[in-house]
Amino acid sequence: MKIPPTLSVVLSNLLKKPATNPFPHTDPVPTPEGFRGKVVYHVDKCIGCKLCVTVCPAGVFEYVEEIKKVTLWLGRCVFCQQCVDVCPTNALEMSNEFLLATYDKYDDNLRWLKDEEIEELRAKQGGKT
Amino acid sequence: MNIIYITLGLIAIYLYVSFVSLLWEGLDRKLVARMQRRIGPPILQPFYDFLKLLSKESIIPRDANKLFELAPVLALASSIALLAYTPLGFEPLLATKGDVIVFIYLLTLIAFIRVIGAVSSGSPYAQIGAQREIVMIASREVPMMLGLFAILWRLSKLGVEKPFSLGTFYQYNIWEIGTPATIVGTLILLVVFIFWLASEIEVGYFNIPEAETEVAEGPMAEYSGRHLALFKLSNALKEFASASLVVAIFFPWGLSGYLGISGIGALIIDLLFHTLKVFAVLFVSMSVFRAVTGRLKITQAVGMFWSRIIPMSLIGVILLAIDVLGGVIA
Ligand code: SF4
Ligand code: SF4
Repeated sequence: MKIPPTLSVVLSNLLKKPATNPFPHTDPVPTPEGFRGKVVYHVDKCIGCKLCVTVCPAGVFEYVEEIKKVTLWLGRCVFCQQCVDVCPTNALEMSNEFLLATYDKYDDNLRWLKDEEIEELRAKQGGKT
Repeated sequence: MNIIYITLGLIAIYLYVSFVSLLWEGLDRKLVARMQRRIGPPILQPFYDFLKLLSKESIIPRDANKLFELAPVLALASSIALLAYTPLGFEPLLATKGDVIVFIYLLTLIAFIRVIGAVSSGSPYAQIGAQREIVMIASREVPMMLGLFAILWRLSKLGVEKPFSLGTFYQYNIWEIGTPATIVGTLILLVVFIFWLASEIEVGYFNIPEAETEVAEGPMAEYSGRHLALFKLSNALKEFASASLVVAIFFPWGLSGYLGISGIGALIIDLLFHTLKVFAVLFVSMSVFRAVTGRLKITQAVGMFWSRIIPMSLIGVILLAIDVLGGVIA
C-alpha cells in the first residue's frame, strides 16, 4: 500500500485559509465587465419599433399598441442580450443585478411597464392627441 | 447500593459520550471541510441535525414490517449497553473476567441490527446495503479479534486479576513488555486496528454499505425522522466506543497518576484525557482517511481484508507469541 498523494495536500490545506466567499456576510463575488444581469427598460427612449419583440427568443416582450411601447416580464428572460443589441435607441440595457429570487413570479421586480403605468401613459397620450 | 451507583454511572457516561461523540462529528466535519479549503458547518451542527430529525415526520414504508421501527431502538439500546463495557480512561463499569467477548458481541450486534432494520424496510436499495454490510462484518472482525485476543493473552501472562477483561489495559500496557518482537508486533497490530476502526465506522475506503452516491445511503435508505435520529446517535456512540477500544489497547496512559490526583477527580481527568486521545485516533482513522481516500468496491475491500490485513494481523500475533513461547522454550 502506498501513501496517497493527496495526503500532503490535504494536511497543508488544514493550515491555509478557506478559499471561499461567505456571501451573506460579505459582498458577493464582483460581476465582470459586460455581465448580463436584469434587463433595464427606459420607457421614454422607446420608439415602439418592435425589433425587440422580433428578436427575443423567450417571448419576454409584449407590444402595447395604444401607447406604442413594449412591456416586459423578466420571469422568462434567458439573459441573451439580443434585445439590447438590437434596440436602435438604447432603450434597453443590461444591469449588474443578479439577486432576483422572489416568492411570486409576477413580482414587481420582474416587470417593466405595469398595467397602471400603461393606463397613465395612455391617459397622457390621449390628452395630447 | 453498588447497582445503583453503576446505573447512575452508566447514565452519566451515556450523557457524556452522546455529547462528546456528536461534538466529534461536528469537529470531523469542520476538519474535513478545512482540508478541502471550505469553511464547513458550525461545530455544533450534529446537534442541530439531531434535533431537526427528531422533529421531522417519520415515514414508515408500506412494505416494512415491525422490526423496521424496532431496529433503531434496539441499536441505540445495544450501543448504550456497550458503553458499560467500554474502557473510557478507567476500567469499564462492568469489567469482569472475559468481558471482551461481550464487548465484541455488542459492537457487532449494532451492525447486525442495522442490517435487520434495512432488510425489514422492503427497499432493494437498503437490501443491497445490508448485504454489503454483512460481507464487511464477516471480513473486518477477524483481524480485530485475532489482535485483541493475542494482546489480552499476552497481558494475562503478566499476572492480572481479571484476564481477558478490557480493564487489564489499565494494569499493564502492551508497550511495557518492551522486547523488540512485541514492539514490532504491536506496531503492526496498531496499523491493523487503525484499518479496522476505519471499516468499523465506515469511512474512506470502507464507506461501502452506506455509499451515498452509489446505493443511496444503503441500509439507511428508508429511514427518516426520529428513527434516523436514533440510528445516527447510536452510530456516533459506536464510533466513540470503537475508537475507545483502540485507545485503550495502544495508548492507555492516564494523566491522574502523574498529577497525583485520586478519587472522582482522577476519573474526570482520565476521562477527559481519554476523550482527547479518542479524538486524535479518530482524526487519523476518520477525518484524514475520509478526506484522502475514495471508496473501494466491495470485492476490493473484502480482498484487502483477507489478503492484506488478516495476514498483517497474523504476523503481529505471531511476533507477540514468539516472545512468550520463546521464553518458555529457552
Ligand atoms: S435578454 Fe434575451 S431573453 Fe432577455 S429580454 Fe432580451 S432578448 Fe429576451
Ligand atoms: S427595440 Fe428598443 S425601441 Fe424598439 S420597441 Fe424594443 S425597446 Fe422599444
